Amino acid sequence: MSPTDTTAVTHEVHIDAEPETVFAFFTDPDKMIQWKGRQAELDPRPGGVYRVDVTGEHVARGEYVELDPPHRVVFTWGWEGGDAVPPGSSTVEITLTEQGGGTLVRLEHRDLPESERGPHGQGWDHYLERLVVAAAGGDAGPDPWDEEGPERS
Amino acid sequence: MEAAARAIAEPRRRAILRLVRDRELSAGEIASHFDVTRPAVSQHLTVLREAGLLAERRDGTRRLYQARPEGLEDLRAFLDEFWAAGLERLKLAAELDQSRKDRKR
Repeated sequence: MSPTDTTAVTHEVHIDAEPETVFAFFTDPDKMIQWKGRQAELDPRPGGVYRVDVTGEHVARGEYVELDPPHRVVFTWGWEGGDAVPPGSSTVEITLTEQGGGTLVRLEHRDLPESERGPHGQGWDHYLERLVVAAAGGDAGPDPWDEEGPERS
Repeated sequence: MEAAARAIAEPRRRAILRLVRDRELSAGEIASHFDVTRPAVSQHLTVLREAGLLAERRDGTRRLYQARPEGLEDLRAFLDEFWAAGLERLKLAAELDQSRKDRKR
Protein backbone atom coordinates (compact mmCIF):
# COMPACT_ATOMS: atom_id res chain seq x y z
CA MET A 1 0.00 0.00 0.00
CA SER A 2 1.54 3.28 -1.03
CA PRO A 3 1.37 6.29 1.29
CA THR A 4 -0.58 8.19 -1.34
CA ASP A 5 -3.21 5.52 -1.61
CA THR A 6 -6.45 7.29 -0.89
CA THR A 7 -8.52 4.58 -2.47
CA ALA A 8 -8.82 2.31 0.50
CA VAL A 9 -12.41 1.74 1.42
CA THR A 10 -12.73 1.39 5.17
CA HIS A 11 -15.66 0.59 7.37
CA GLU A 12 -16.25 -0.25 10.99
CA VAL A 13 -19.21 -1.92 12.59
CA HIS A 14 -19.92 -3.12 16.11
CA ILE A 15 -21.43 -6.57 16.32
CA ASP A 16 -23.01 -8.07 19.42
CA ALA A 17 -21.22 -11.36 19.01
CA GLU A 18 -17.91 -12.80 20.15
CA PRO A 19 -14.90 -12.40 17.86
CA GLU A 20 -14.83 -16.20 17.43
CA THR A 21 -18.39 -16.12 16.15
CA VAL A 22 -17.72 -13.27 13.74
CA PHE A 23 -14.42 -14.69 12.52
CA ALA A 24 -16.12 -17.81 11.20
CA PHE A 25 -18.12 -15.66 8.79
CA PHE A 26 -14.89 -14.96 6.91
CA THR A 27 -13.67 -18.55 6.74
CA ASP A 28 -16.71 -20.85 6.69
CA PRO A 29 -18.43 -21.03 3.26
CA ASP A 30 -21.88 -21.71 4.74
CA LYS A 31 -21.58 -18.67 6.96
CA MET A 32 -19.98 -16.53 4.26
CA ILE A 33 -23.00 -16.84 1.99
CA GLN A 34 -25.24 -15.67 4.79
CA TRP A 35 -23.84 -12.19 4.28
CA LYS A 36 -22.09 -12.14 0.95
CA GLY A 37 -22.44 -14.15 -2.22
CA ARG A 38 -24.40 -17.15 -3.40
CA GLN A 39 -21.67 -19.72 -3.23
CA ALA A 40 -18.29 -19.70 -1.57
CA GLU A 41 -15.18 -21.82 -1.85
CA LEU A 42 -12.87 -21.02 1.01
CA ASP A 43 -9.60 -22.62 2.05
CA PRO A 44 -8.68 -20.52 5.06
CA ARG A 45 -4.91 -20.89 5.26
CA PRO A 46 -2.16 -18.73 3.77
CA GLY A 47 -2.18 -19.32 0.02
CA GLY A 48 -5.58 -20.97 0.21
CA VAL A 49 -8.33 -19.97 -2.18
CA TYR A 50 -10.93 -17.33 -1.43
CA ARG A 51 -13.65 -17.53 -4.05
CA VAL A 52 -17.08 -16.00 -3.63
CA ASP A 53 -19.72 -16.09 -6.33
CA VAL A 54 -21.33 -12.74 -5.67
CA THR A 55 -24.14 -12.56 -8.21
CA GLY A 56 -23.96 -15.72 -10.28
CA GLU A 57 -22.17 -13.73 -12.95
CA HIS A 58 -19.54 -11.97 -10.89
CA VAL A 59 -17.07 -13.98 -8.92
CA ALA A 60 -14.67 -12.44 -6.44
CA ARG A 61 -11.44 -14.37 -6.19
CA GLY A 62 -8.21 -14.13 -4.28
CA GLU A 63 -6.08 -15.94 -1.75
CA TYR A 64 -5.86 -15.87 1.98
CA VAL A 65 -2.69 -14.08 3.01
CA GLU A 66 -2.82 -14.13 6.77
CA LEU A 67 -5.08 -15.64 9.41
CA ASP A 68 -4.87 -14.91 13.09
CA PRO A 69 -8.11 -16.28 14.54
CA PRO A 70 -10.14 -14.66 15.88
CA HIS A 71 -8.48 -11.27 15.44
CA ARG A 72 -7.35 -10.80 11.90
CA VAL A 73 -7.81 -12.14 8.42
CA VAL A 74 -6.24 -10.79 5.25
CA PHE A 75 -7.02 -11.93 1.74
CA THR A 76 -6.37 -10.68 -1.78
CA TRP A 77 -9.31 -9.85 -3.95
CA GLY A 78 -10.38 -9.23 -7.54
CA TRP A 79 -12.94 -10.18 -10.16
CA GLU A 80 -12.59 -13.46 -12.00
CA GLY A 81 -12.28 -12.63 -15.69
CA GLY A 82 -11.94 -8.93 -14.97
CA ASP A 83 -9.17 -6.96 -16.65
CA ALA A 84 -9.35 -3.91 -14.43
CA VAL A 85 -9.24 -5.71 -11.10
CA PRO A 86 -7.88 -9.18 -11.79
CA PRO A 87 -8.11 -11.82 -9.08
CA GLY A 88 -5.72 -11.09 -6.26
CA SER A 89 -4.94 -7.53 -7.33
CA SER A 90 -6.36 -5.76 -4.30
CA THR A 91 -6.30 -6.58 -0.61
CA VAL A 92 -8.97 -6.86 2.05
CA GLU A 93 -7.95 -6.76 5.68
CA ILE A 94 -10.40 -7.57 8.45
CA THR A 95 -9.57 -6.74 12.04
CA LEU A 96 -11.72 -7.99 14.92
CA THR A 97 -11.35 -6.35 18.32
CA GLU A 98 -13.26 -7.29 21.45
CA GLN A 99 -15.40 -4.36 22.46
CA GLY A 100 -17.93 -4.23 25.27
CA GLY A 101 -18.75 -7.93 25.16
CA GLY A 102 -19.07 -7.77 21.40
CA THR A 103 -16.75 -7.23 18.47
CA LEU A 104 -15.60 -4.19 16.58
CA VAL A 105 -15.12 -5.20 12.96
CA ARG A 106 -12.89 -3.06 10.80
CA LEU A 107 -12.75 -3.70 7.07
CA GLU A 108 -10.16 -2.13 4.84
CA HIS A 109 -10.18 -2.78 1.12
CA ARG A 110 -6.99 -1.31 -0.32
CA ASP A 111 -4.70 -1.31 -3.33
CA LEU A 112 -7.59 -0.39 -5.56
CA PRO A 113 -6.34 1.07 -8.85
CA GLU A 114 -6.75 4.67 -7.78
CA SER A 115 -3.77 6.00 -9.71
CA GLU A 116 -5.49 5.29 -12.96
CA ARG A 117 -8.88 6.36 -11.88
CA GLY A 118 -10.84 8.70 -14.06
CA PRO A 119 -12.20 8.72 -17.55
CA HIS A 120 -8.83 8.22 -19.22
CA GLY A 121 -7.64 5.25 -17.27
CA GLN A 122 -8.69 1.76 -16.60
CA GLY A 123 -10.33 3.08 -13.46
CA TRP A 124 -13.39 3.56 -15.55
CA ASP A 125 -13.82 -0.12 -16.32
CA HIS A 126 -12.96 -0.87 -12.76
CA TYR A 127 -15.82 1.24 -11.49
CA LEU A 128 -18.30 -0.04 -13.98
CA GLU A 129 -17.46 -3.61 -13.13
CA ARG A 130 -17.80 -3.03 -9.46
CA LEU A 131 -20.97 -1.08 -9.76
CA VAL A 132 -22.64 -3.85 -11.66
CA VAL A 133 -21.98 -6.14 -8.76
CA ALA A 134 -23.04 -3.53 -6.27
CA ALA A 135 -26.22 -3.00 -8.19
CA ALA A 136 -26.96 -6.69 -8.25
CA GLY A 137 -26.31 -6.90 -4.53
CA GLY A 138 -28.60 -3.96 -3.98
CA ASP A 139 -31.36 -5.61 -5.95
CA ALA A 140 -31.15 -8.65 -3.73
CA GLY A 141 -32.28 -6.47 -0.84
CA PRO A 142 -31.10 -6.49 2.75
CA ASP A 143 -32.38 -9.97 3.46
CA PRO A 144 -29.63 -12.56 2.88
CA TRP A 145 -32.15 -15.36 3.19
CA ASP A 146 -34.14 -14.07 0.30
CA GLU A 147 -34.77 -16.72 -2.35
CA GLU A 148 -32.89 -14.59 -4.85
CA GLY A 149 -29.93 -14.54 -2.50
CA PRO A 150 -27.77 -17.41 -1.35
CA GLU A 151 -28.49 -20.77 -2.89
CA ARG A 152 -29.87 -23.28 -0.50
CA SER A 153 -29.15 -26.94 -0.86
CA MET B 1 -26.86 6.49 -6.61
CA GLU B 2 -29.41 3.85 -7.37
CA ALA B 3 -30.04 5.63 -10.63
CA ALA B 4 -26.36 5.24 -11.56
CA ALA B 5 -26.43 1.59 -10.63
CA ARG B 6 -29.50 0.96 -12.72
CA ALA B 7 -28.08 3.02 -15.57
CA ILE B 8 -24.98 0.89 -15.94
CA ALA B 9 -26.72 -2.42 -15.31
CA GLU B 10 -27.53 -2.44 -19.04
CA PRO B 11 -24.52 -3.68 -21.09
CA ARG B 12 -25.17 -1.34 -24.00
CA ARG B 13 -25.15 1.67 -21.72
CA ARG B 14 -21.78 0.59 -20.36
CA ALA B 15 -20.57 0.32 -23.95
CA ILE B 16 -21.79 3.85 -24.64
CA LEU B 17 -19.91 5.21 -21.64
CA ARG B 18 -16.71 3.54 -22.79
CA LEU B 19 -17.21 5.04 -26.22
CA VAL B 20 -17.41 8.61 -24.92
CA ARG B 21 -14.98 8.45 -22.04
CA ASP B 22 -12.18 10.18 -23.98
CA ARG B 23 -14.08 12.20 -26.56
CA GLU B 24 -17.30 13.98 -27.28
CA LEU B 25 -19.62 12.34 -29.77
CA SER B 26 -23.01 13.23 -31.17
CA ALA B 27 -25.99 10.96 -30.67
CA GLY B 28 -25.75 9.97 -34.34
CA GLU B 29 -22.09 9.04 -34.04
CA ILE B 30 -22.84 7.00 -30.96
CA ALA B 31 -25.75 5.27 -32.65
CA SER B 32 -23.54 4.32 -35.62
CA HIS B 33 -21.55 2.05 -33.30
CA PHE B 34 -24.56 0.00 -32.36
CA ASP B 35 -27.01 -2.19 -34.17
CA VAL B 36 -30.04 -0.58 -32.60
CA THR B 37 -32.49 2.14 -33.53
CA ARG B 38 -31.66 5.78 -33.00
CA PRO B 39 -34.58 6.24 -30.54
CA ALA B 40 -33.25 3.32 -28.50
CA VAL B 41 -29.85 5.01 -28.28
CA SER B 42 -31.52 8.31 -27.34
CA GLN B 43 -33.31 6.53 -24.54
CA HIS B 44 -30.03 5.10 -23.24
CA LEU B 45 -28.44 8.56 -23.39
CA THR B 46 -31.29 10.01 -21.37
CA VAL B 47 -30.95 7.36 -18.68
CA LEU B 48 -27.19 7.94 -18.45
CA ARG B 49 -27.58 11.71 -18.36
CA GLU B 50 -30.22 11.58 -15.64
CA ALA B 51 -27.96 9.30 -13.61
CA GLY B 52 -25.24 11.96 -13.75
CA LEU B 53 -22.86 9.80 -15.77
CA LEU B 54 -23.07 11.67 -19.02
CA ALA B 55 -22.64 15.35 -19.92
CA GLU B 56 -24.64 16.85 -22.77
CA ARG B 57 -23.51 19.95 -24.68
CA ARG B 58 -25.21 21.78 -27.50
CA ASP B 59 -23.09 22.72 -30.50
CA GLY B 60 -25.34 24.48 -32.99
CA THR B 61 -28.00 21.97 -33.89
CA ARG B 62 -25.99 19.05 -32.60
CA ARG B 63 -25.91 17.62 -29.12
CA LEU B 64 -22.61 16.22 -28.00
CA TYR B 65 -22.09 13.71 -25.24
CA GLN B 66 -19.15 12.84 -23.05
CA ALA B 67 -18.71 10.81 -19.88
CA ARG B 68 -18.72 12.83 -16.66
CA PRO B 69 -15.65 12.19 -14.49
CA GLU B 70 -17.51 13.63 -11.50
CA GLY B 71 -19.95 10.79 -11.91
CA LEU B 72 -17.11 8.46 -11.03
CA GLU B 73 -16.73 10.04 -7.63
CA ASP B 74 -20.38 9.34 -7.03
CA LEU B 75 -19.85 5.76 -8.11
CA ARG B 76 -17.02 5.40 -5.67
CA ALA B 77 -19.31 6.58 -2.92
CA PHE B 78 -21.77 3.96 -4.02
CA LEU B 79 -19.14 1.22 -3.85
CA ASP B 80 -18.33 2.38 -0.38
CA GLU B 81 -21.95 1.79 0.45
CA PHE B 82 -21.70 -1.67 -1.09
CA TRP B 83 -19.24 -2.72 1.60
CA ALA B 84 -21.16 -0.93 4.32
CA ALA B 85 -24.28 -2.86 3.36
CA GLY B 86 -22.28 -6.10 3.40
CA LEU B 87 -21.14 -5.47 6.94
CA GLU B 88 -24.67 -4.70 8.04
CA ARG B 89 -25.71 -8.10 6.73
CA LEU B 90 -22.73 -9.64 8.50
CA LYS B 91 -23.87 -8.01 11.73
CA LEU B 92 -27.34 -9.51 11.44
CA ALA B 93 -26.05 -12.96 10.56
CA ALA B 94 -23.35 -13.03 13.26
CA GLU B 95 -25.67 -11.78 15.98
CA LEU B 96 -28.23 -14.40 15.07
CA ASP B 97 -25.53 -17.04 15.18
CA GLN B 98 -24.36 -15.79 18.57
CA SER B 99 -27.86 -15.90 20.05
CA ARG B 100 -28.22 -19.51 18.87
CA LYS B 101 -24.94 -20.41 20.58
CA ASP B 102 -25.96 -18.61 23.76
CA ARG B 103 -29.23 -20.53 23.93
CA LYS B 104 -27.38 -23.84 23.76
CA ARG B 105 -25.20 -22.89 26.72
